[in-house]
Amino acid sequence: MKKKAFVPFMTLTTAALMLAACGGGGNDANETASADENNSNNTNANANNEAANNAAEDQEEVTIDFMHLWPQGSSPDHHRIVSDIIADFEAEHPHVTVELEVLENEQYKNKLQVVSSSNQLPDVGMTWPAGFLEPYVNGDMFTPLDDILEEDGLRDEFVAGTLEAYEVDGESYALPLELNIAPVFYNKAIFEEHGVEVPETYDEFLEVIDTLAEAGMPPIALGNRDRWTGSLWYMYLADRIGGSEALNSAIDRSGSFEDERLVEAAEKIQEMVDHDAFISGFNGLSDQEAKAEFMNGSAAMYLIGSWDLPNYTTNEEVPQEFRDSIDFFKFPEVDGGDGNVDNWVGGPGVGLFVSEESDVQEESKAFVKHFAQEWGKRSVEEAGVIPGTQVNTEEVDLPDLFVDVLDDLNNANDITLFADVQMSSSVAETHLNMIQSLFGGETTPEEFAETHEEALQEDE
Amino acid sequence: MNKIMSDKRIIAMYTLPALLLILTLIYVPIVMTGYYGLMDWDGIGAMTFIGLENYAAVMTDGAFWSSAWHSFLLALFSVGSLVLYLGVSLVLAGNVKGADLFRKIYLIPMLLSSVAIAQLWMRVYHPTNGVMNRFLTSIGIENPPLWLSDTSIVLFAIFIPIIWQYAGFYIIIYYAALKNIPKELEEAAKIDGASPFQIAYKIKLPLISGIIKVTIVLAVIGSLKYFDLIYVMTDGGPNGASEVMASYMYKLAFRTNDFGYGSAIGFFMLVMILIVTYLIRRATATKDEVQY
Amino acid sequence: MSSNSTAVESSEGVKIGSFRLKITHLLLYVILGIVALVQLLPLVWLLLFSLKDNQEVFNLAPFALPSDPQWGNYARVWTDGNIGLYFFNSVIVTGSSVILTILLASFVTFAITRMQWKLNKLVLGLFMVGLMIPVHSTLIPLFSFFMNVGLMDHHLSIILTYTAFNLPLTMMILLGFYYTLPRELEEAAIMDGCSVHRMFFRIILPITAPVVATTAIINMIYNWNEFVFVNTFISSDSLKTLTVGIQNFIGQYSTDWGAIGATLVISMLPILIAFFILSNRIVEGMTAGSVKG
Repeated sequence: MKKKAFVPFMTLTTAALMLAACGGGGNDANETASADENNSNNTNANANNEAANNAAEDQEEVTIDFMHLWPQGSSPDHHRIVSDIIADFEAEHPHVTVELEVLENEQYKNKLQVVSSSNQLPDVGMTWPAGFLEPYVNGDMFTPLDDILEEDGLRDEFVAGTLEAYEVDGESYALPLELNIAPVFYNKAIFEEHGVEVPETYDEFLEVIDTLAEAGMPPIALGNRDRWTGSLWYMYLADRIGGSEALNSAIDRSGSFEDERLVEAAEKIQEMVDHDAFISGFNGLSDQEAKAEFMNGSAAMYLIGSWDLPNYTTNEEVPQEFRDSIDFFKFPEVDGGDGNVDNWVGGPGVGLFVSEESDVQEESKAFVKHFAQEWGKRSVEEAGVIPGTQVNTEEVDLPDLFVDVLDDLNNANDITLFADVQMSSSVAETHLNMIQSLFGGETTPEEFAETHEEALQEDE
Repeated sequence: MNKIMSDKRIIAMYTLPALLLILTLIYVPIVMTGYYGLMDWDGIGAMTFIGLENYAAVMTDGAFWSSAWHSFLLALFSVGSLVLYLGVSLVLAGNVKGADLFRKIYLIPMLLSSVAIAQLWMRVYHPTNGVMNRFLTSIGIENPPLWLSDTSIVLFAIFIPIIWQYAGFYIIIYYAALKNIPKELEEAAKIDGASPFQIAYKIKLPLISGIIKVTIVLAVIGSLKYFDLIYVMTDGGPNGASEVMASYMYKLAFRTNDFGYGSAIGFFMLVMILIVTYLIRRATATKDEVQY
Repeated sequence: MSSNSTAVESSEGVKIGSFRLKITHLLLYVILGIVALVQLLPLVWLLLFSLKDNQEVFNLAPFALPSDPQWGNYARVWTDGNIGLYFFNSVIVTGSSVILTILLASFVTFAITRMQWKLNKLVLGLFMVGLMIPVHSTLIPLFSFFMNVGLMDHHLSIILTYTAFNLPLTMMILLGFYYTLPRELEEAAIMDGCSVHRMFFRIILPITAPVVATTAIINMIYNWNEFVFVNTFISSDSLKTLTVGIQNFIGQYSTDWGAIGATLVISMLPILIAFFILSNRIVEGMTAGSVKG
């Protein structure tokens, strides 16, 4: 059937990640740091503006169609930054108008596919990495962005490894706007009340689970109807037992899914289920419902992407007392396992693509470049989104929890891309279904591995 | 008379506009779906002709047949539920004081969109906070069922909101049909001393048998291609336990980039529904439509 | 008219003298009342839902009162985006498609059931097949069709699609009623020298008013709540319908449920009103019909 959709992903070396002054300068106050680069602060914007005005007279009016998935109602901060960036860009390029179409996640994905089938992609839009992006690249829908990445050292502004997730055959097809890792969030108040400490090994983790469960406190909030949520747990266990190499090599076919380390990870999942680690009815609950249990204090722990940080830091709708009681820990090590406690599951989320068929490709490329840079300067502070570009933690004012996550991101030994993103979409579907089965106890760890292996082989 | 009522020009005038509309907006997609089914296509880039490979694959696809079985069960339940709705409609259309108000109230849930209905029932079925399980625990049942995560009951748990969702639809049709029966017939029967049950069974039901057949067909077709609540409430899970044909097709076509295979399933569904509908119509066909 | 029918009922009530029947009646009312209450609960739930914040939506029991009613949800829905414009678009799209569907469906049903021609069963069959195609199979072909005829991002594309997809259903419901119309009706009309058009508009349409009202209600609800076609065929914000209001509150990782509840309540009100008006027609038409029939 289809070709493999695996994109080898990311070994983030600590050195490459040091957040020092890497050009991604901050707010208006700090112009000196980045004024020599043309990644736009006000002075540059004005200069560009003039130049653009002069040129504008003989430039044709053009429209860039831009489709994104951050509606104003649910994501007011994202929406505001997007509007500002567009306004800036339009001011710098007076002959350009940016037309927006906003759809929510699911509808967005559907529409992207439908418009592609008739070759009607918007000039600029958002895509996910690896498995999602690959069919679009194979269908010649997205245009490579390496030319703008080479300009003014744009490539180096991105966190090492993030761009690779959007690469096919050595060319980059999108500029990442998001980067996440998945920590285990926990409720300090509940831990204290039950006299348990943050576990450092899997065995300690099981003890914590037992203590909580026996006291009638559901240990972990999990909404496994959405399936990728359960996948996170499996991925971490696979990593802690076999190191990042075990799972990655099974997926890129240099290894096998029937590797005993991967089977052992599946056994551990069922062991956790047997210890009543997860809230009741988890296989029928959505992630949002599970999150509600955690935020209600009805569950002690919750493994989720760092995109959820605002709920535990800045979100005014959440009671201050709850926010203060939330911290996170790294997924515990497994005794005798090869995994490093600084290995994370995570990766970039949405990125900006430019359509191959766009008749305003030049302007569109300038737009995505401008967008990624400006977004990088503002997203974490104003919208709580960790961008794909490097953040200078010294220049932004962030809550402690954010700083901690950013530090851990910098010190990460390795980040394994979410399995369902890493795999081709059809293998991902099998994986996600098997995850539900495994958690539900309807399949054995051996069958779990075998089914994966079959799906991966068939997809080769 | 016959000449006027068989005027070809008028017949064409009355049927062609609608026919043209469905030929372009429904038949073209049907043909295209069948055609895409012959392709290896991710729904995005170029397609390759692979003949009947996809259709052959449908035959041996266990996941598809299990979803088809679920759809079939839903159809059975939906048809069964019609009896209930017919009963309610008979009562409402009878001489009950305030029937008008009751009828309006009964139809209100029908106005809710699927988004709202799904949210409502997720609250009903919530394993710990849900209306259902709170009630069950309050009467002393210790481990109430996990409605949407237990693979052995999830399918039936999800049938209930689906069937409830369509209650208003069928009641309003039956009600209109019953109200359409001339009053004199009922009056006459009453004078002859017939009981309300006899009137309902012997007079009313035969008179609306045409519309009952129509609702059976609608219930079956609607069930076999049902999608909405399943998609929102369980997404076909856990691990396919509540998957139906349409949700399976949707996943293949739009999530796993197997648009060709998804189309083959869509086309296959259409043919299956066509056959089932034909069988039902044959089974329920009587000598002649009832006339007053 | 409702006072009229109550009068009839009460005179019958006097006739029914026996005690046992009274008990049965009482029981019937209790059951009817309970069912009515249950059917009203979803509406109450939705109202409460729309006044909760995201925590309460999940954590409070469905019928628990919110501790601090979030009227702000309504304010947000009202000010974010162009509710007024979306509302106007919804009315245009729903109204046009309902009228178009009912008119076309009545024409065809009339021709199939009342007029004599050989291919009528075949044509009926062609329409029935239209019920059977899964909606998601049609998205890509319809998109490319509207693209080619230049109707993309135009209200006509959704109006025509709604009409085409609701025609078969509407026809099937009409069909059952048309079959029961007495032949003498037309014979008499034609005897009087009535043309077919005149007969259709002056006699048939008024007589079928109850079922037309029924199908109008069903069509209206379907079209009002539809969003897949709107999202696929319409890209300009200025042409979108009320259902985008719901999407506005669905985020990448989280959803603002309270605001969605408020949107649902606001967008439900107009169809609730239209429903009550049309719903009365079902009975009114009946009396008119039975007098003539």
